[in-house]
Amino acid sequence: MKKQNRLGSRLLIGLMFLFLYAPILLLIVFSFNAGDSSAVWKGFSLHWYARLFQNRLIMESVYTTLLVSLLATAIATVAGTFAAIGLYSLGRKRREALLMVNNIPMMNADIVTGVSLCLFFVAFFQGWGSFARWFNSVQGVVELPDRLVLGFSTLLLAHVAFNIPYVILNVAPKLRQMDRNLMDAAQDLGCTWMRAFWQVMLPEIKPGIVSGALIAFTMSIDDFIISYFTAGSASSTLAMTIYGMTKKRVTPEINAVSTLLFLSVLVLLVLSNLKEVRAEARERLGAARKPSALERARLKFAEPRFKWVRRGTAGVLACAFIFTVAALAHATGSRPVVNVCSWGEYIDEDLITQFEEETGIRVNYQTAESNEALYSLLKSGGADYDVVVPSDYMIGRLIAEDMLEPLDYSQIPNFDLIDQRFRNLSYDPDNLYTVPYTWGTLGIIYNTAMVEEEITSWSALYDGKYAGNVLLINNSRDAIGEALLYLGYSVNTTDEAEIREAYELVADANRRGVFQGRVMDEVFQKMEGGNAAIATYYAGDYLSMLENNEDLAFVIPEEGSNWFVDAMCMLKDAPHQREAHMWINFIASTQANLANMDYIWYASPNREALERYPAYYEELYGEELDPELYEIMAAPAETLERCEAYLNLPAKTLSLYNTLWTQLGTD
Amino acid sequence: MSKELIRLADCVMAFDDEVVLDKINLSIRDKEFLTLLGPSGCGKTTTLRIIGGFQTPTSGDVLFDGVRINAVPPHKRTINTVFQKYALFPHLNVYENIAFGLRIPKTDGKGNRVKLPEEEIDQRVMEMLEIVNLKGFEKRRTTQLSGGQQQRVAIARALVNRPKVLLLDEPLGALDLKLRKDMQNELKRIQKAMEITFVYVTHDQEEALAMSDTVVVMDAGRIQQIGSPEDIYNEPQNAFVADFIGESNIIDGIMRADGVVEIFNRRFQCLDGGFDRDEAVDVVIRPEDVDIVPEDQGQLKGTVTSVTFKGMQYDIIVDFYGFKWLIQTTDLSPVGSRIGIKIDPDGIHVMKKSEYSGMFGDYSSYSEEYEEISDASLDPEEEDSGDEE
Repeated sequence: MKKQNRLGSRLLIGLMFLFLYAPILLLIVFSFNAGDSSAVWKGFSLHWYARLFQNRLIMESVYTTLLVSLLATAIATVAGTFAAIGLYSLGRKRREALLMVNNIPMMNADIVTGVSLCLFFVAFFQGWGSFARWFNSVQGVVELPDRLVLGFSTLLLAHVAFNIPYVILNVAPKLRQMDRNLMDAAQDLGCTWMRAFWQVMLPEIKPGIVSGALIAFTMSIDDFIISYFTAGSASSTLAMTIYGMTKKRVTPEINAVSTLLFLSVLVLLVLSNLKEVRAEARERLGAARKPSALERARLKFAEPRFKWVRRGTAGVLACAFIFTVAALAHATGSRPVVNVCSWGEYIDEDLITQFEEETGIRVNYQTAESNEALYSLLKSGGADYDVVVPSDYMIGRLIAEDMLEPLDYSQIPNFDLIDQRFRNLSYDPDNLYTVPYTWGTLGIIYNTAMVEEEITSWSALYDGKYAGNVLLINNSRDAIGEALLYLGYSVNTTDEAEIREAYELVADANRRGVFQGRVMDEVFQKMEGGNAAIATYYAGDYLSMLENNEDLAFVIPEEGSNWFVDAMCMLKDAPHQREAHMWINFIASTQANLANMDYIWYASPNREALERYPAYYEELYGEELDPELYEIMAAPAETLERCEAYLNLPAKTLSLYNTLWTQLGTD
Repeated sequence: MSKELIRLADCVMAFDDEVVLDKINLSIRDKEFLTLLGPSGCGKTTTLRIIGGFQTPTSGDVLFDGVRINAVPPHKRTINTVFQKYALFPHLNVYENIAFGLRIPKTDGKGNRVKLPEEEIDQRVMEMLEIVNLKGFEKRRTTQLSGGQQQRVAIARALVNRPKVLLLDEPLGALDLKLRKDMQNELKRIQKAMEITFVYVTHDQEEALAMSDTVVVMDAGRIQQIGSPEDIYNEPQNAFVADFIGESNIIDGIMRADGVVEIFNRRFQCLDGGFDRDEAVDVVIRPEDVDIVPEDQGQLKGTVTSVTFKGMQYDIIVDFYGFKWLIQTTDLSPVGSRIGIKIDPDGIHVMKKSEYSGMFGDYSSYSEEYEEISDASLDPEEEDSGDEE
């Protein structure tokens, strides 16, 4: 009976651990997948780890992450330690109140901390701007910069701010355990306070400081939300980069980098625990144990006669560190730079390297998550991008709100290569602000192994024939747009009755349980793994899915669909306008468009590139490009005629969309 | 008598609104063993910390050799301290603990920073180890030592710096009774050998009487009496001192004339004088100064209500007219028997009435009071409440 119980409890523990660790194990296993799917195993390979180290976006963010974590940890450890000591010299009541205050930021939601820090920085920058302009106007000796933006320094400050409480929390118990008379005793024997601190207090509270620093470092490396709001456009931490990459899909590359991140945090934790265990063992064994060779060496080194050697080593290390940081800062500071914000997995990264080598301009390439996220980031004033790549309707909105700078097309000769079809589009009728980047169509993707017939109409989404196996796109414009098309209305209608009718169609299907869920990026896994039969998504992404599941088919329904353009534009008052023009011109070139088309499977607006792509493909892979695939990637003119572009809708209509979309969740 | 070394003049210490020391005036002579004695919270540790430099008095002066040192930090005073729980440095071994003070560079007369040569440090540490009987313990970790050994390391660590004054804050409080007795002798021996001033804080009156040249009795932030152990015991100045030092019966009396005091409406001969005629006074009678006689020969007559065997003597409680006395005697008088007592004139001490009058004396509350006073484990005073552990 008892034995059975034990078996049962072991099973329960086993299940608990499985639940905790299975997702991580799965991620680690799939980081070694030879294929690029997260659902289908195609054999063992280290390919993605190799790719990882060639991915400059990831490597740059690793560098930023390490630098910000190390610096923030160092500063927070010093500040937090002294703060804890200060707290302990206060009376009990005040100390406890302050420790309470110290604990609040740790329990506070990260998002609140992040947003408030962002607001604080932006408000400070505005105040500083007015002060600097006034200061510069009254004297000419010192020129203060009047335009500060979020960047590495604000990221660092934010990390220091959220790290300090962890250090205090770890140092405080050590101070509490310490005999308060120790410091008195040291001073009594002739030490100044500082000397007593170094010689007596520091050795006593060192374990607390070390574990505080380790936890702060782990927190820094881990942090996403606070960094996201304070890093601005110029820097991106690893977590932010990973998040940007997942916008499209969880690639095995992300699995690989996550595996490495998981392992390094694990190593840090094990290290800090081992240290404690060893310290306890030493306490127990006392002098009975002979010191190991390493410890003897360390003890010898600690003897007073080696003091100068110790000091020298520490000095050299400190100088080297400062020098490296300064050199890096100098190197990045003096080179011309262009800040670009695009979407995740939306460029062949070799192009960035190539541009940098050709021009000597450093490209600071960041990614945003959606048009709406980009818009709010720009509105908050925290970003200082030069070039952004929004979609058509968002460009219309940015122009309407005077947030874009007109381009000087004389500096962009490659604009001539852009097909006439993609010029003077409704969002920029006189083509003053934009150079198209890619274009594509929205359509239905379905699994031919699960759907017998050929799908030709949007009705497949609503008729309930595949109830429970349809994925609704989680984006109000597309989801309601599809229903409008099915009903025969324009996707840009402002007629409330029409929009409500379309919404009712979607809501009714939702009530009948037709939809398995509302998805954006999960669509990749779901469709590739055969977990859903029908979904709607973009043509380029369909082509990526096809590589992992050959049963998938794509159709632009007979009622027509949406076709979209993403275009490069320059933001108002961009700080690096010359470099921005050079970048736009470079990306508009035929060669760059060919490389991008091959990498991201989205069609190019460059006439030459579009025509030459099949030949380019054949040359590259030694096989002919399936003309059907090419047609899906770059829809022919007659298909495009059935499609409609999104226009920027009036505010009233936008808010109707919002209201209805929110309502769908509760309907 | 040797010259004065330290003087506290009108020292007041107040935390927020709480006055911990109230106008303390104290003179400490060179090479004397002075004890600050009092119950928890009387201000004795605060006085010690003011001398050590860990606290600055709110008002008043601290003089060292005639020089005001209120603002001199601890590390610049030629005073060292032995702390309550020893405060040994846990990360250093015995040798390094003792050498700690010697390794700190000192500023010489010309303003140069001077360090002691390693040979001298070694010689002085070894010398101290010998004095405190800890030879062969150099490499031990302090956590591996017994309480008494730690205590001696703490003393050696302080004395190795050759201070003019050694402050000891309840140094024997954590030791068991036998070890405490040994260490009392040891400390006295060291003080004589080193020829320096000891300022010793304790709440244990026996310890104070056994070791000190001068005893300073404190209560409620004020000095109650300063004197030699004999003076303090034999001529307590008020009911508090009489009660705190040794056992005593404190009785209301009326001074009828010089040398004549009236207790329980009976006149007794005494040696005290200088009071107003018919002045109300406190009368102290030590339990061992009372002679038991047959009932009919007694100056006072009472009933034995309790007997406790104490080894050397019996402690008996006798009820006189409803007031209970403690009497120590070698002869057994059984509970319930009627006895008489006689008191010699030198066994009667007359004191002026004070704020403490009426607070002590009746041994009907004997048990509680007796235990409270003799409880050595009572938590000594601490500025910050002892919630830290």
